[in-house]
Amino acid sequence: MNRLRWYGANPLHLLALVASFALAGYAATRLLVDDPWGVALWFIGAAVVHDLVLFPLYAIADRSVQGIVRRRPLPTAFRPWVNYLRAPALLSGLLFLVWSPLILRLPDDYESITALPISPYLGHWLLVTGTLFAISAIALAVQLRRHTGSGPYSPVSPSIRSRSRSR
Amino acid sequence: MRRAIWRTRWRWMEEHPPPGPFRRGFWRSPLRGPWLTAVFGFALLIGISVLFVTGLLSYAAYNPDLGANDLTPDKGVLGFYLFDWPTDPVWLYRATQGVHVTLGLVLIPVLLAKLWSVIPKLFDWPPSRSAAQVVERLSLLLLVGGAVFEFVTGILNIQMFYVFPGSFYTLHFYGAWVFMAAFVVHVAFRLGRMSSALRSRNLREELLTDLAHTRTEPPDPDQLVSPNPAEPTISRRGVLGLVGASSLTLFVLTAGQSIGGPLRRIALLAPRGQELGNGANDFQVNKTAAHVGVTPEQTGPAWRLTLRGGQTSPTLSREDLLAMPQHTAQLPIACVEGWSTTDQVWTGVRMRDLAALAGVPEPVTVFVESLEDGTFGSATLRQNQILDDRSLLALSVNGADLSLDHGFPARVIVPANPGVHNTKWVARMTFEA
Repeated sequence: MNRLRWYGANPLHLLALVASFALAGYAATRLLVDDPWGVALWFIGAAVVHDLVLFPLYAIADRSVQGIVRRRPLPTAFRPWVNYLRAPALLSGLLFLVWSPLILRLPDDYESITALPISPYLGHWLLVTGTLFAISAIALAVQLRRHTGSGPYSPVSPSIRSRSRSR
Repeated sequence: MRRAIWRTRWRWMEEHPPPGPFRRGFWRSPLRGPWLTAVFGFALLIGISVLFVTGLLSYAAYNPDLGANDLTPDKGVLGFYLFDWPTDPVWLYRATQGVHVTLGLVLIPVLLAKLWSVIPKLFDWPPSRSAAQVVERLSLLLLVGGAVFEFVTGILNIQMFYVFPGSFYTLHFYGAWVFMAAFVVHVAFRLGRMSSALRSRNLREELLTDLAHTRTEPPDPDQLVSPNPAEPTISRRGVLGLVGASSLTLFVLTAGQSIGGPLRRIALLAPRGQELGNGANDFQVNKTAAHVGVTPEQTGPAWRLTLRGGQTSPTLSREDLLAMPQHTAQLPIACVEGWSTTDQVWTGVRMRDLAALAGVPEPVTVFVESLEDGTFGSATLRQNQILDDRSLLALSVNGADLSLDHGFPARVIVPANPGVHNTKWVARMTFEA
């Protein structure tokens, strides 16, 4: 198919996008009736907050954790212990991200609407977080035992000694 | 001459991106690449299609063509597909809305992973190579903004945290159409690339590849692959496993509020994961009487039900209703928020008997009004719902009188009906022939 020179893509690309914008516009004129600025702010803000706040935050957190891990190498060829920290932290963080209103007791009407207490959610999240980290710790201990043949922090492990000497 | 100068300047700008994320070498993850993006994209293509369909079904379930049921009356052609909501199977709305909300939650990690996998494209340099690219990036703003907007409004609404700017129904319904407009063209533009990327690697082999053997994908024309990849710290199967485990965790900690029974107790973080107790009336309450301002005085011995639509307007006390033939039906309560209960045993008067008593034996609709004021203080039901033998004006549940929170002295219960249309504290029913 011919590309439109001034446009930079084939004409179908343009037609499909115009159709899409027309439908989006049709819905948007209804979406923006009551509080146009508020809704536009939420809509565009949703993309901005994800791309320029949430993503940088978790990327930086991950970088920092990797930095810590690199400074504290574990014995043997068993390298990727960072993932035993990453996995429970990711799951716990995700649960917090989704359920933070309940965990932080933000919805004022929750109890009067449902006849249920809002107080248990913080405890539930902490319990789940604790369980995730504990499972990860056990899994890491098992891995280390397999790789070193002795306890994970055994002082006689030769690989630790040689590594600490070389630093 | 001038054109040549511009061309040189443009080339210079192209070759000198600002520092930081605008330089391709900034992005060092060795796992970003077309195959991984395509896997997440494929999961979202299926998942979001199901979310869209179940969302549209939920709108149809409200029978928006009747009375004042429509919460988005300006919909225009966006309601083109509407149909009469059936009463069979009785768990229909429980299933469609349970899937809508639970699947939405389960897809959050997939959406985040997909956005992570393509985030370098946000900082593409130069920001515009052609008019086509500028227009498409505008569409991508609607796509990403729309996706996050839909997920966020849904997640906040099920937690009853009403901080969004307007009615949830308006925002989530029209927002979905804006999002889907952008979603459909995005799929159309990328479907070919997605399927060839999926074919570029073998899933089974990826799942067998450990960290030591994980290699960066070959350079791709879309430049998702880093030109300067770091040493991998996790395998590709590890990333898929993390996303899968995240979805599974959300599922396990939520689905019980829709599946009900003993599973509700594992739904530790679900808004409706808690039990009220073991009594006949101890199933989930949509909104308590106190919350909507219905008092015991209003529902005491002075309470009367008025039936309108025929020549006379009979008025009935609760005793009058109890003296009529009583029928029993096993029906669930299912909420737009995704939670539901297993079947409860309701006993009361058939809606069709009340229609006959009102002098309208062949009703087309009934307008049911509650003692409650506000949006859901009334609802209009259709003929198929009124005439269904299992549709009741219930007086008791599970062998006990209705509790005040469940609609004492009398409430509507109709198979497959969205919860808020099963009007509680009914004061008046107007049948139309």
